[in-house]
Amino acid sequence: MATKKEEKQFEKERKAAIKAREKRMKEIGLEKFLTPEQIKYNRRQKVIGAVWPVFRFLILFGLCFIILYPLIFMLSTAFRPSEQMNDPSIIWIPKNFTLDNVKQTWGVMKFDKTLVNTIILNLVASILQVATCSITGYGFARFKFKGKNLLFGIVIMMIIVPPQITTIPLYMQYAYPPKFLASLLTLGKSTSLINSPWTMYLPALFANGIRAGLFIFIFRQFFRGLPKELEDAAYLDGCSPLYTYVKIMIPNARQSFLTVFLFSIVWYWNDYYVSSSFFTNNDTVALMLKNLNTNLIQQLFDGQSVSVRQIIVWLEAGCLLSITPILIMYVFLQRYFVEGIEKSGLAN
Amino acid sequence: MSDSKKTASVNTGAKAEKKHRLSYEKRKGLYGYGFIALWALGTIYFFLMPLVVSLIYSFNETKVQPGGMEMKYIGFKNYVNAFRKDQDYSLALVDMLKNTALRTPLIIIFSIFIALVLNQKFKGRTFARAVFFLPVIIATGPVMDIINGNMSTGGYSGGSEQFSTMFEANLVDQLLNFLGIYNISDRLSSIINSLTTDIFNLVWNSGIQILLILAALQGISPASKEAAQMEGATSWEFFWKITLPTISPMILASVVYTVVDSFVDPANKVMTIVLNKSTNWDHGYSAAMAWAYFLIIGVCLAIIVAILNKVIYYEVE
Repeated sequence: MATKKEEKQFEKERKAAIKAREKRMKEIGLEKFLTPEQIKYNRRQKVIGAVWPVFRFLILFGLCFIILYPLIFMLSTAFRPSEQMNDPSIIWIPKNFTLDNVKQTWGVMKFDKTLVNTIILNLVASILQVATCSITGYGFARFKFKGKNLLFGIVIMMIIVPPQITTIPLYMQYAYPPKFLASLLTLGKSTSLINSPWTMYLPALFANGIRAGLFIFIFRQFFRGLPKELEDAAYLDGCSPLYTYVKIMIPNARQSFLTVFLFSIVWYWNDYYVSSSFFTNNDTVALMLKNLNTNLIQQLFDGQSVSVRQIIVWLEAGCLLSITPILIMYVFLQRYFVEGIEKSGLAN
Repeated sequence: MSDSKKTASVNTGAKAEKKHRLSYEKRKGLYGYGFIALWALGTIYFFLMPLVVSLIYSFNETKVQPGGMEMKYIGFKNYVNAFRKDQDYSLALVDMLKNTALRTPLIIIFSIFIALVLNQKFKGRTFARAVFFLPVIIATGPVMDIINGNMSTGGYSGGSEQFSTMFEANLVDQLLNFLGIYNISDRLSSIINSLTTDIFNLVWNSGIQILLILAALQGISPASKEAAQMEGATSWEFFWKITLPTISPMILASVVYTVVDSFVDPANKVMTIVLNKSTNWDHGYSAAMAWAYFLIIGVCLAIIVAILNKVIYYEVE
């Protein structure tokens, strides 16, 4: 195997050789070697090769700007004193920077406590979800049993049915669960599960968390793409399917596990609809951000009504705070998002 | 003699193996049930039961009582009310369908284009990819509300004002006026306006679709591209003859994702109406609305999938 450096070297040499050959051909006269159509085709490819990169750069630059725009705006306003929002001479860079907005927003969101709470909630739910969804996906991918298509139809339904339909009945189920279950899970403190993190953990434990249908689907596609010989060898050695799954399939599927795990974390982090239905005082970052406007008005402006432009620096500071942890994760694990999805079987 | 004996013994051996294999297959099937058992239990409790209960709600007048829900059967009245008496519901529904029908093709074409570009080799590709997938991690969260709010209530808030003036349609107007074209500018500027304001939503809503299509593009072998070039095919021909058929299953997936995503988005108008009704404790009515909405989504999706399935090219394995 050639290393990357060597490969680059080969590529360079190949290009140089092609160029030298073209030069020689030109000296003798192109017509002797190529038909007129070929000459025309080559010329056209050359023009496209010269123009397209410029064009591509312009498009990508413009679109990247549109995507990054809100983030740049966030950075620009979060550290800007509130008075300077009305200064028409300031567009991007404020006259002086301040950390007050961030500090005040930190206080209003009780960010330290909220962050720890959210991270624990996310990690536990995501790990449970990935574990159970992968097992289910494996079951659908590799075993033949009666009613499989019907059951998989239910998985597809789980993707399509909006969670808003099932929220109210679910709320009733959580609010009035079987007595022994409630006392077991809340250690006898309460008869209802509302406000307990179990409203997130329980569905995740049974492969029914946020967007679980999609995850089962992804895992099924992935396991179907793996060669069958992998397991057959293990079965011949007398391993049970569960043992095979743990010892053979999981190590082979590491990459797609990571990808799905990252997606799961992101979706749990961003979710405010499901958590706002079941939590009234159990705070997550997304919920805090959703209520930030109201909380800010209460705590910083004594409940007076304020316009958006008065309050915007704090709102943007809140946005910045709440996306920073996930952004850091993204920067470090970005290549798994991008390259991982290619190998995670979605490509088939 | 000995030869035929041998084959016979091999035959019986194969038969025995087949028999053993059958029972083995059956056993494997049981293991299959074992693997999905956890999910099946959860789905019954966390998905199917609530689904059925909400269907029951939709045929009842509900009242919340401590300890449960009090219900009175009223038949289809909730559904009739939703379509006949509610002023906002049908309007919002039509609006929603129109919006989705307009936006889905735009998003898909845009995603295919960007995925093709991001699949090429150039300097800074990793960075560009990272930026284009950024919406995937941000767009589903409440951060988006604030970002969108800032964009629309821009006013004096510095940067966002700049953003809206950057693509000011007046520029186009002035250009047309300068060229001596007056009459169409109003119409044209409104179209351009709606397009330019939509570019933001377009880019921010196509992260996952780009990801899916890019993944499909990786499946095209570089050898086929080289072969096509040898034969003198232009990139244009290559795209229509090779690329598009190969990625067509993924395009279907992206279409379905886009449609579902825009229907399920809690910020859309129909969803807001449904959620408002349920925060007003009118659960029966809101369940009826949600179910009617869901049935419409289902029919739409079925039609789309049926149409697209006819043109999709599946590789025969």
